[in-house]
Amino acid sequence: MNPDSASLPLPEVLRAPSLTVGQVTPGSLDDQVLRFPALAPPRKWYVALAFTLTIMSIGLVLIGYTFYEGIGVWGNNSPVFWAFGIVNFVFWVGIGHAGTLISAILFLFRKRWRNAIARFAEAMTIFAVMCAGIFPLIHVGRPWLAFWLFPYPNQRGVWPNFRSPLVWDVFAVSTYFSVSLMFWYLGLLPDLASLRDRTDSKIRKPIYTILSLGWRGAADHWRHFEKAYLLLAGLATGLVLSVHSVVSFDFATSIVPGWHMTIFPPYFVVGAIFAGFAMVLMVLIVVRETMDLKNLITDFHLEVMNKVILGMSCLMGYSYAVEAFTAWYSMNTFIQHTFLNYVTGPYGWAGWLTMSCNVLLPQLLWFRKCRRSYPWMILVAMAVTVGMWFERFVIIVISLYNDYLPSAWHAYKPTMVDYGILLGSFGIFFTLVLLFARVLPVIATTEMKADLPGAQPRHGARHD
Amino acid sequence: MTESSTESFAVLGLFPSADALMEAIPKVRASSLGRLEAYTPYPVHGVDQALGQRRSPLGGMVFIMGVLGAVAALLFQWWVSAVDYPLVTGGKAPSSWQAFVPIMFEVMVLFATFTAGLGMLLLLNRLPFFGHPVLGSKAIRGITRDRFALAVEAEGEFDPAAARAALEAAGALEIEILPAHPREPAFTAEYIQRSAAGIFVACVVSGLLMYSMVKLMPALPPMSHMLEQPRLDPQKPSAFFKDGHGMQLPVAGTVARGFLPSGLAAPEDGARLVNPLPMTSAVLARGRTEYQIRCTVCHGALGDGVSTLTAAYGAKPANLLAPAVRADPDGVIYGTIVLGKNAMPSYAADLPEDARWAVVHYVRALQRAQNAKDEDLK
Repeated sequence: MNPDSASLPLPEVLRAPSLTVGQVTPGSLDDQVLRFPALAPPRKWYVALAFTLTIMSIGLVLIGYTFYEGIGVWGNNSPVFWAFGIVNFVFWVGIGHAGTLISAILFLFRKRWRNAIARFAEAMTIFAVMCAGIFPLIHVGRPWLAFWLFPYPNQRGVWPNFRSPLVWDVFAVSTYFSVSLMFWYLGLLPDLASLRDRTDSKIRKPIYTILSLGWRGAADHWRHFEKAYLLLAGLATGLVLSVHSVVSFDFATSIVPGWHMTIFPPYFVVGAIFAGFAMVLMVLIVVRETMDLKNLITDFHLEVMNKVILGMSCLMGYSYAVEAFTAWYSMNTFIQHTFLNYVTGPYGWAGWLTMSCNVLLPQLLWFRKCRRSYPWMILVAMAVTVGMWFERFVIIVISLYNDYLPSAWHAYKPTMVDYGILLGSFGIFFTLVLLFARVLPVIATTEMKADLPGAQPRHGARHD
Repeated sequence: MTESSTESFAVLGLFPSADALMEAIPKVRASSLGRLEAYTPYPVHGVDQALGQRRSPLGGMVFIMGVLGAVAALLFQWWVSAVDYPLVTGGKAPSSWQAFVPIMFEVMVLFATFTAGLGMLLLLNRLPFFGHPVLGSKAIRGITRDRFALAVEAEGEFDPAAARAALEAAGALEIEILPAHPREPAFTAEYIQRSAAGIFVACVVSGLLMYSMVKLMPALPPMSHMLEQPRLDPQKPSAFFKDGHGMQLPVAGTVARGFLPSGLAAPEDGARLVNPLPMTSAVLARGRTEYQIRCTVCHGALGDGVSTLTAAYGAKPANLLAPAVRADPDGVIYGTIVLGKNAMPSYAADLPEDARWAVVHYVRALQRAQNAKDEDLK
């Protein structure tokens, strides 16, 4: 396909795989991807939206109930003060990490296959961080005072404690959201300009005109734009590694047995990328099937993502092994007790569920057949999502319910409100995903155009 | 886009591919008819060099702002934690910089990101700008899709016909002459009227909203259950107890710790009691503290009966250094503390058991101090 490849005959295995199927030109790409905002959504989209909106409203009603009645309607109680609120927070922040990994780290590594999936993954990052942000907010009990978390001069004369990882968290997550939003919007800008110039609609045209800020594709602008995008990718790369590390500091800097471990920051980052890829994979399968984008999001893309999931799964297995080793090698009764509690005791099932979903089941992806077949990869991706949620449950609840003081031991039991708000967060996430899929370009067309065969001049001054 | 417009902004030629554009640029550039600018659907490698554009200064800007962010975060955290609101956490020094690193990093990234994003858009690219002639051209639909445009923009003496010819010679498929953007005065009377009306409406709406919020919110106190909880308040009635009092008297015959009744009828009855406390420096220190609180005021700091009170008080406190008191057994002094003597009231309610005995030890020490013998110096 690439005119260069004729002059440079490489053996099949060494040739870069084709990232699209069939004939794709810049024009056809626009016609295929950018037509959706102008189309009336099909009936099944409305059905799906009604479903997610219902779930979302259940969650919102229960959040309102929590505000009115207080945190007492949750299952949290001494000694398990951090339960679903923090489990869900860590889970959703983690989901977001895949998007930044795909858009930033893979961009720096010049992995061209990221272009087709980066936009959707970035959007999912933003939605996941929004879902994550809800939980600390409602967990503080009086969310109308949540601004106390930020350092601002006040008549009380007090400041936040900058040695507290919880304050680091406020900075890390809000920075992460701002940076993700900026990164996403900048990538979207040329696509919004394309949308603007495609439509004559009286409603959409002004909206896209304003959102695209008058982007006109001048070479003078592109040189700054490319630089900004590269810099943002570099900054987001550092950030994505820092955010979940800081989240893990919430645990690791405490002295609770099972939390006080040096493996936590990398372990959390790996888990985040792992869970995020599983979620992105599942959503992309739905998108490519229902929106007929199989020629752009190809089987190759899914296979590569499955390989990432497999790699992360092995790293998760390693992290669990290090946890076990630390428990044994520490010769500390409390850590050993907590670790045994992960796999035995009343919540032992959660520990086994975590390990089988996160380590054992993804091993199926060693087989090429599983990496390319929907039933298998969906099975693995769902297992990973469930497993990663339960991993946070294991870390938080099992470590807390039996710690140093046996007289304080108490079992934790979530209430229906806990389950409802968790469900509601999925409703919020998928509602936003559904809306996004219909109003904005789901594939970064500009980035894909720049990498299509023949898109770049043969005798240009620079080559990658 | 009227043909009659005399002023033209640029002449724009459309090319079908990036290759065609790259080949055309040097040819048109050689004729130096005006400022050259390319408009492309995606970044085309090498166009900036071909057009003679300089490298983007964004990297340096981002670096400076990133460093500034990190330094600002460090200084702010240091000032808050060590100067304005020092709070000891985990025994760390108030200025322990290690704990400030995570927020330094986050603020650095935040500053750098906003510099990269907004600096690129607002500062370097001068966006948002909706009035650029290219946005109003017929070619823009192709430019943001799959066409590559090269524009010769007016600069000084501009000859549109020559520019058109040069672009045609370079192989442009379509050529369009963009009229200069007619500049209208920004602050017309209508504009000012409409802005004023808009500000007025915004003020009225937000004022009404604020008014209704203030009036409505007290009717909906959010989650006030902690204020309304059933509880016993001191000195307040309560339906919980039969007598209706929130505070209850102790059960009859209750003895408080350290206040076991001594059973003495007169101070002299204490003669049989033995001081249970050893004479250690800790006990003497406690005795001195209690003595200074309760006894010094009348018996004097030395125990010599020189009161610190004025003469108006009238009473004659005992001189504890007198031979009679020195001869008394410990128990008699103890009994005097418990029961009082003459004008002295009972101190049984103020001094618990062991404090009384500690005071006795201290009184003995005072007596010894004022009657020191030669061998005490050895």
